Formats: sequence, structure tokens, C-alpha cells
Amino acid sequence: MPELPVQELSGRPSGGLKAGAEVEVELTVNGRSRRARVEARKTLADTLREDLHLTGTHIGCEHGVCGACTVLVDGAAVRSCLMFAVQAAGTEVTTVEGLAPDAASLSPVQRAFREHHGLQCGFCTPGFVVSATAFLAENPRPTEEEIRAGLSGNLCRCTGYQGIVRAVRAAAGELAAASPDSNSHHGGGHDSNGKESA
Amino acid sequence: MTAESTTSLPGQLAGGAGAARWIGQRMPRREDPRLITGRGRYVDDYQEPGTLHATFVRSSVARGRITALDTSAALAAPGVVAVLTAAEVNSPDHQLWYNMTGPGRTPGRVLADGDVRYVGEPVALVVAENRYLAEDAAELVELEIDPLPPVIDMQEAVRTSERVHHELDSNIAAALPKMEIPGLAERFAGAAHVVTETFRQHRYLCVPMETRGIVAQWDPWTEQLDLVLSGQGVHEPRFFYARLLGIPEDSVRARMGDVGGSFGQKMFPMREEHAIVLAARAVGDRPVKWIEDRVENLVSGGHAREETLTVEVAVDGEGVLLAARAHHLENVGAYPVPGNGQNGATSAVIFPGPYRWDGPGSVAYSGEAIYTNTCGHCAYRGPWMMETVGREQMMDVVARQLGIDPLEIRRRNVISRDHLPFTTPTTLVYETVSPAETLEQAAELIGYEQFRRDQEAARAEGRLLGIGLSLYVEPQFGFGILGTEAATIRVEPSGKVNAYMSTGSHGQSVETTMAQIIADEMGVAISDIRIIQGDSQATPYGAGTGGSRTGPIAGGVAHEAAQAIRERVTAVAGRLLEASPADIEMTDSVATVKGDPDGPRVTLAEIAAAAYLNTDALGPDLEPGLEVSKRYKAPGLMFSNACHAVTVEVDRVTGQVKILRYVVSEDCGNMINPMIVEGQIAGGIAQAIGGVFYENMIYDADGNPLTTTFLDYLLPTAAEIPDFEYGHVVTPSNTPGGYKGLGEGGAIASPPALLNAVRDALAPLDITLTEQALSPDKILTLIESANGSR
Amino acid sequence: MKPAPFAYHAPPTVADAVSVLAEFGDEAKVLAGGQSLVPMLALRLARPAHLVDVNGVAELAGVRRENGHLIVGATTRHANLERDRAIGEAVPLLRLAAPHIGHSQIRSRGTLGGSLAHADAAAELPAVARALGAGFVVAGPSGERTIPADGFFQMVFTTALEPDELVTGVRFPVWGPGSGFAVEEIARRHGDFALAGAVCAVQASAGRIERVALAMFGMGSVPERLYALEKSLNGAAVDGLDLDDIGEQGVAALNPPSDVHATSHYRKKIGAVLVGRALSTAIKEAVSA
Repeated sequence: MPELPVQELSGRPSGGLKAGAEVEVELTVNGRSRRARVEARKTLADTLREDLHLTGTHIGCEHGVCGACTVLVDGAAVRSCLMFAVQAAGTEVTTVEGLAPDAASLSPVQRAFREHHGLQCGFCTPGFVVSATAFLAENPRPTEEEIRAGLSGNLCRCTGYQGIVRAVRAAAGELAAASPDSNSHHGGGHDSNGKESA
Repeated sequence: MTAESTTSLPGQLAGGAGAARWIGQRMPRREDPRLITGRGRYVDDYQEPGTLHATFVRSSVARGRITALDTSAALAAPGVVAVLTAAEVNSPDHQLWYNMTGPGRTPGRVLADGDVRYVGEPVALVVAENRYLAEDAAELVELEIDPLPPVIDMQEAVRTSERVHHELDSNIAAALPKMEIPGLAERFAGAAHVVTETFRQHRYLCVPMETRGIVAQWDPWTEQLDLVLSGQGVHEPRFFYARLLGIPEDSVRARMGDVGGSFGQKMFPMREEHAIVLAARAVGDRPVKWIEDRVENLVSGGHAREETLTVEVAVDGEGVLLAARAHHLENVGAYPVPGNGQNGATSAVIFPGPYRWDGPGSVAYSGEAIYTNTCGHCAYRGPWMMETVGREQMMDVVARQLGIDPLEIRRRNVISRDHLPFTTPTTLVYETVSPAETLEQAAELIGYEQFRRDQEAARAEGRLLGIGLSLYVEPQFGFGILGTEAATIRVEPSGKVNAYMSTGSHGQSVETTMAQIIADEMGVAISDIRIIQGDSQATPYGAGTGGSRTGPIAGGVAHEAAQAIRERVTAVAGRLLEASPADIEMTDSVATVKGDPDGPRVTLAEIAAAAYLNTDALGPDLEPGLEVSKRYKAPGLMFSNACHAVTVEVDRVTGQVKILRYVVSEDCGNMINPMIVEGQIAGGIAQAIGGVFYENMIYDADGNPLTTTFLDYLLPTAAEIPDFEYGHVVTPSNTPGGYKGLGEGGAIASPPALLNAVRDALAPLDITLTEQALSPDKILTLIESANGSR
Repeated sequence: MKPAPFAYHAPPTVADAVSVLAEFGDEAKVLAGGQSLVPMLALRLARPAHLVDVNGVAELAGVRRENGHLIVGATTRHANLERDRAIGEAVPLLRLAAPHIGHSQIRSRGTLGGSLAHADAAAELPAVARALGAGFVVAGPSGERTIPADGFFQMVFTTALEPDELVTGVRFPVWGPGSGFAVEEIARRHGDFALAGAVCAVQASAGRIERVALAMFGMGSVPERLYALEKSLNGAAVDGLDLDDIGEQGVAALNPPSDVHATSHYRKKIGAVLVGRALSTAIKEAVSA
């Protein structure tokens, strides 16, 4: 491994990083500050799995279609196979391992997947659970069509999506019941600087 | 198999221990907590320090002579530990056959040697510190190939003198010859109608979400091989690699962790896995890992389904089936796995399906499996399914020609419970099937009559609505190596129950269903039971999970083993409670005496303590310890059955197809867990929807695969798959528990149901539909050709 | 499927980005959303020696109004095109196009500038840009220039951008009251690239089409602007239009590609239908606005 001075990448360097050189990246993962030493070309997916030993995020295609690698970056669902770890420096990443409130319980979405048989082999499941979590946060009262469209960025081969759609429907219902005042829908709107408005 | 364990009623335990509490319940899965929190352990999650990573250099030419292969630059690249070619890896002594099938005709080899025979064939292997560096080095391998004329089309393959395998005298991998059945010709000659059609099915693929993968580690001092694979079982790989390395089979430890689906693709380890094992031995000490990437999985991971079935049926004036001849062609690529890839031999016996036909000698079936310079064939969910795809479409074609409704023609031919036991023209004996009953249930659930009225009204408006049926009988194989499953159940000294099973679940929920059985049979708290699979050192020999056998065979052994251990438990409990073992009742791991539920009790933990730790209290006639091993031998063939009914609307402007409703009436006997049954059906249907409308593995005329990523090989998403509806008919089997297998059925029966629905929708246009891969373009072409506008 | 090695740059300003591009020319590729580029890197179909990550360039973000135009920063995510009120009100075609772009996970990262510079002829945003006659604000070593949409797209995946230039923003004209908009497409699956698509903007008053803009995607090697059809529709009554005929006219001169998903013939056939549908939807909105 070529030995070059290791740079901090918690902000963004203006200098270049030579091909093959490694850099230390600092990011928050599931609420904890983590560091990894990576080449610029190492994907966020590989870094999470190998350097941070969070193997719950899975790799299914490496070209941004199957969604098995979905994580949240600053709250937004992204395909971690299409981001480099260096791009995630300074961000807050949530993986499937970070969804449950504690080691003994499950998030509402996770519980719904279990209750409604939303998984069989489980390989696509972390990607779905993360995507569904982001989807419902953005769209808590989805129509049937919105649910299916919202899930179309993740592929499953075992379930025929039956239990997955039921799980998201149920989780939406549970979340809606828990917060009756919430009226945000995907038309809620944002300011142009990207931050969510009221 | 004891007399009591036959034809159990749902909800009753085979061992007569009373009502089932868990069996039959839609119980949430015990696998789920770890999988939904990302704590599953798939092969790529095994990340021992020091693991090396491999990548392959593959042929980009379908057929050709290797004129140059220089690995020196790759070997010098950063992080590279080894670069291996056929020179280092291959050996003429390699035994490259499987326990299940034995040696076949295909000349096998691990890496390409001197020539290449399909695009994607592995030629060299780079082992490096990580996959990134391995791929960098792989690009430095100099590989030159002089192309030869490739054989791609299977009709061409039969005619041409070019050989896919120069060692062989033809491109026929296997043949089921046409046989002259006495009297068959006369049946045709005397029939009111003879209808002939050829149905074509395109190449489509298993595509599990987890690609193939293996970690192999060779200990040069003990000469032991340790494997973790993404597979369907551990014993087949264990035997295979023992043979390959020339070491005793108990020198190989094979394990499976969680497996991300397979659908047949991972049933047998293939050439890449062989190369990794050999590389591990060459490297020594450090684990060598290979994770297939998605392009490899699509291009070279094993292909399926590219088959044609020519069907000739003779029917009487009422549409009653009198006789059939079928000829089945299969494109099995260059290196089919296993054996010679021929599904036709199985299809031949299954083909009569749910219909009565006209006695022995009324059905003749022949076929050929043909080599081409394409990726080799692998098993895919219901590999023999072309018989149903052809037969069920033929029913609709005949119905149309005779002016009979497709439901009605099936009613006139279908086997019902009244006909049992029924012997098919191919000598299969059905004892517990219910095709007629599922036909009626499906027709009722989908509202067949009402749909015909709706269709009439829609047609008047120019809209194209259609309904399709498919009836089938699904075999579960219990002969040869597939004939048994085993379980060792041990009550641990703590009172927890561990069941070591010969299964290799990769999504089939075995940890849940078997626990349901064992909990009920033993009267043990289900949370105290653990199902352990997938370790050749710990789990008994078995063929792994596949072939829809889990319900009847693994379920069968779970019942038998649990009954046996219950006897041991109640014997000890009886000693402790001073009661007859026959009077002991076990509920939630607590033993009480019949008639005295609030009286003296012992927990399973206390029973176990007596059995293991305080054995003096047992007395001379009670065996200490609480462990039993059972191996259940299943009947050679078992059958389940179902009827699929689907309604569609074809958009005549865009050619897109919308599925309106999809109904399945399934008879898989008693259901251990109906939720899991329905999940299995659903997965198969989704693969069929994918296969019929979206997925198509296309080669160009030079044998270059054109659909090599998920951008071009299209899997259906949640937006393309509707809700499915299920009805259940229950005809218990004759195996313990009364279960029948069903895992493959969705993928077998669904394609012809969908095709029949489209055929029915397009009926007013008088279109002949004999192909699949019904893209909107294809459908619009059919519509336009009918209009004469093209 | 791991990318080949590259040198990585993350310039904080446009000037820095341009100087890196100027230094390395066609050995450098700009990384914005990465949703199109990174798969190509993974497949090693693209192997730039230098990757210039512009996600940290603050000047490329944001949206502002100027002289009847909305200038949308190049790194504006597709998700913001979908949700941002200012964008949705000023340039409804962006709001209508965005939900068709892949899936939400793609839209979290994919950017306007990236999609336009990538210039996939089957993508929605290039067609929206052509329909509206947008101007591409481009920074280079010799300063800033604006390239009109008509001159921007040259060939499949090929634009008028020089290797040392960077799209900083896009100027979209804001249509006034009485306008209606539509994006219609047919794709194999939800979120796929369209087999064919049509974008339409219409302004109507007193029952007549005052102005109309039509562009198509998936129908050629660049997004196609249907100027001849627009000319024939200007001034036409909004009622009684023969949409089938209009659609046929719209695609008559086009030569769509054939690939594994659809033939040229199919694309042309549904393209005609989509033109009619887009026009009809846009007119409905225009007359009720």
C-alpha cells in the first residue's frame, strides 16, 4: 500500500488526493463518530462493511439498481454503492444497524416487516427497511400507488413484494395513528436551500 | 413411518399428543430478528483478518483459441499474491461430478484451457489483498483469443458441424429419444381433432439478490479444507471438494451462513468455486474469498429456461384429451450443471399433469438437450416446468380451436379426488391430489363467470381484457440422494432444545417451520428451540434444501425425531414424577401428570439435569442423556397441486399489460405455517411475471450477452407486482404431518397462466401467441400484425 | 465491480474546480450526484485519472429569480426539483419531470447539472431544458458563458462543454399565467429510463394556443425539439385538435434508436401517442389556469 501522509477528511480538502493514496475519513455512523482509512475510490458501502464492520448493509449489484446497499446520509436514502466514503466525510450515516431504538426492540418499520412476512432470505431486507423508513418519514400517509412507487427502488426476489407492501402499509398506519397532527405529505415543500420548511 | 403418522388432520399431532398449538399458525419467523436488524451472516460477512480476495479474468469471446495468456504483469501488481491459470489449477485427474447426478457427458474443466467456449468462461484467477487491487491486476493479464465460429442458436447447433466441445461427436448433451409407442399413431388417426403447436420459452435467470460466493481456507499442516459458501446445502460441496482435492471427506468442513436466495443456482458449486478452493490450497493458510459480482452473476452464473416444447394433442369432439406427443428442446449452454442439464427426462414423466388422458401409452415425450457456446444451464425453480408451460397453453389453444371455454375444457379433463388413486399414462400414482377442487376454487375466487361478462362489455368498448388459467401437479423428489432428511434433536443439560437438521435453508423459513413442529410434538416452549443447519461437522448428511422437499421430508423427520425424543423425555419425567410415561403431559417445557395439571411438575431443565447430571436417579433401565437421531425416508415421489387464475388488461395503444387480479388455489396438504406457504407461492409468481414480461437474457449472433447489468436485465419491482390472493384446499399427504412441498410451484404454473391471459385478451384479434418475453413492443407487434398494419 | 484508481479533488469554489479541469482536461471527470457516473466507474467503462467532486462548491447550489428566469444551481438535487416550492411554481416542468427520474434514492443524490451534462437522450431533464429553451451557464478558464439548450446537446452523451468547463447553473424562462405543462412517458418499469417521452408547455388565451413548446426524449441521439409542429400549432384553437394526427406529425421526422428494450418502430409509435397526451394535458391545465 503506497505510504503517503494521511490527510484528515472531515471537511473537504481543496488539494487533490493521489490515485492509490489513502485518507482518513471521519463520519458519524448510527450516532457514533467513526473513522476509516480508505482510498478515494472505496465506496461507502464497502467502507461500512469492511472498515466499520457494519455488514448489515448488503451489496447486490454495485451499479445502483437493486437498493440492497441503501443507507441514510443526513436523513436521505441513498445508494451507498454509488457514493465514495470520502464523500460521506462529516455526514451522519444511518445503517440498518442503527434503526432499532435499542438492542432489545425493533423500529416500527422493522416490526411491521416481521409481522407481515416482509422477508424470506433477508438479503434485500436492510435496504428495504432503510428505504421504507426514509419513505415514511417523507410521506407518512401514502396512497397504495405511492407505496409501490416508493418501494420500486429496491429489488426483492423471494417475497414477490407481498409482505413488504403490507408491512409498509401497516407501518404507515401505525405512524399515522401515533401522530394525528402530522399533515405533511410529499407536497409539503422545501426551501430552495434544501432544508425542509414547515 | 408409524401408522399414526399417516393422513393427519390439520391441527392434530401425528403422535397423538393432542391438538397442535404452533403447527398451522401464521407465526412470525424466528429468523427475522437478526435479518431485519442487519445481523444476518452471509458469506461476504465472514471477514477474517488476512482474507485474500479473488477475481476472475474471463473470456470476452464465445468460442475461440487462446493464443496468448501472460500473467506476469498481473503478478507484479500491488497487493497480488497469486495469479493462476489452467496450467496451475487444472488437472486431468479432477473429479468434477456431483453426488446427485454422477459423471456426465460434458468434458469438464475448472479454468479454460487452450480454448474458450462461452463469453464469461473463467480463464485466470487473481488473488490479492483486496478486490480493488485484484481487479486492477486482472486488467493486466494479457489474454488473446482467436475467435472461432460460435454455435449460439440451438436449431443451428443440431445442424452444424462446428462443435461446442471438440472432444464430443455432436452438440447433443443428452437425448430422450422418440419412441414408437404401440397404438399411439392409431389414437391420433382416430381422433376428432389433432392440434399441434410449438411453444418457445426464452432464456431467463435465477438472479438471487445475493450473488454466489465462497471463502475457502486450506490448512497445510492438518490438510484440512474449511469452506463457507452461499449454497443450498453443505454436504454436496463437502463431498465434491474432498474428491477434487483427493482428501478424505471428513477433512473438509463446509458451512453455510445465511444465504440470500438461490432458486437452484447455488445448488451445486461451480467452476469458480472449484478454482477458489484450488487457489486456497495453492496459497495455503490464508482464507481466499470470492464474491461474484452482479455482471458475473448475469453473464456466467448459470442460465435457464431457454426451451421449446412442440406439442401434438389428439382430442375427441368434446375436447377430452386422448393422446399427446411432445418434443422438448433445451439450450443448455456449454457447461450445464449438473449432469448434462436435461430437464426433459423429468418433464417427460410429469407432463400428463392434472388431466386423465387415456391410459398407458397415450402420452409420448422425447427431447434433446443441446450444447451451445453460451453460459451453461443451472437448476432454476421447477427446472422441468416447460411441460406445464406447454401443456397449459395447449389446453387454451385446443379450447379455442374447438370453441370451448378454457375453464370448461379443463373441467372435462381434470382429475378430481374421486379418481384417486390415479395412475398417469407415465405410471405416476397420485394418491392425495385435488386438481379439480383447486380449479373450482380458483374459478370461484376470481369470479370467472362474472369476468367473462365484464370482458364482453369491455370488448364492446375496444378494450382487451383476458383471463388465463393454469393447472399443474408439482412433484417433490424423494429418491436417491434426495430420499431422506435427518434430524438430531438434543435436549441440552440446560433444558434448551437444539435440533441439528440436514437442511440448507436459503429463505425457506426452516428455522420457524421445523420449530413449530418440534414445539408441538415435544410440548416444548418454542422460544427454547433452536434449529441448526449448514455445518457439515455438526449437521447430518442431506442433499440440502431444494426440490420443494422441505415440508414433507424435513417436516417428516422433524415429527419423527421430536416424537422419539419426547418418549425419552417423558420416560425421565415419569421417573421423576413417579407416573407412567404415557400419563405425562408436556406443555411449554413443563411436565405434569395427566388429570393433575396443578399437581407435581418438573421443567425440561430439571428433566435434563436428571438425564445428564444426576444420572444415578434414573435407575438401570433408563438411558441417560436426551438425544436422538432420525433419518426419514420419503416416498420416491410426492405431489402437490394448484390452480392459478389471472386477469389482465392489454393496452392496445402501448402494448403494456396490467395484471388486474391474481388468484391461486393451492393444495399443499396440511400447512405448517400458511404465511410461509403463501410467501413461497408469491415469490414464484413474481419470478414468472418477471420471466414472461420483463426478463430476457439475450445473446447476439456472435454469442455476446447483451443484457449484462440490471439496467438491461429487468427484474420486476413492487410497482409491477400486484397483490396476490390465495385459497387453500387441504388434502393431507401420507407423510408425517400430512405436508406437501410447494416451493417451486409458483414459478412453474404462473407463466402459462399469464400467457393464457394475454392470449385470451388478444383473442378478438385472432393472434397466435407462442413466444414469451412479452415486452410491450412484442405485444404491439402482435396487435399490429393482426391489424395488418405492419 | 470496483472502480479503477483515480486522483480525487474536492474543490471548494468554481474557480478551483475550473482550474483543476483546465489542468487535467479530458483526463478529468466531474462528480456531482454520481448516479450515472459511478456505475460506469464500477463497470470500468469510464476510467478518468482525475475525479473532480463538486458537491462541496457552494456557488453551485441554490436557486434565484432573475429577469423572468429561474436560475437553478447545477448541484440542485432531483429531490429538490420535486419538492422545492420556488422551483415548482416558477418552472412546473421540473416539478413534473423529477418524479420520473429513477427512484427516490437516485433523486437524493442526482443533480440537475449532472443529468444535463451527462446528456442521456432518454432522460427527462435534457428534454425539459430543450423544450423551454433553457440557457446553460458554464464556467471555464476564460470566464462564464451561456450555452443555449439547442446548441448544448450534440450527440448521445456528448455536449458542447469543453473538457475544462463546468455547468454552474441553468436559466429556465418562467412562463406566465395561462400556462399548462405536462411530462408523459412510457417506461418498461416504474423509474426506468423512458422508452419514449414528451414534454409540453402551452400558453393559451381566448381559446387559442398562444405559444407551445414540445420536446421529446428517447427518440433520437439528443432530446428533440419539435419546432415544426410548434409552428403549426401556434394560434390553433384549443378545442377540436386531432391529437393522433398531431402526434404523427410530431414524430414523422424522427429516427429513434432500437435497443434491447424497444425497437425504433415501437418508440415512434408510442412517441406519437405521448405527444398527443402531453399536449392534451398541458392544454387542459392552461385553459383552467
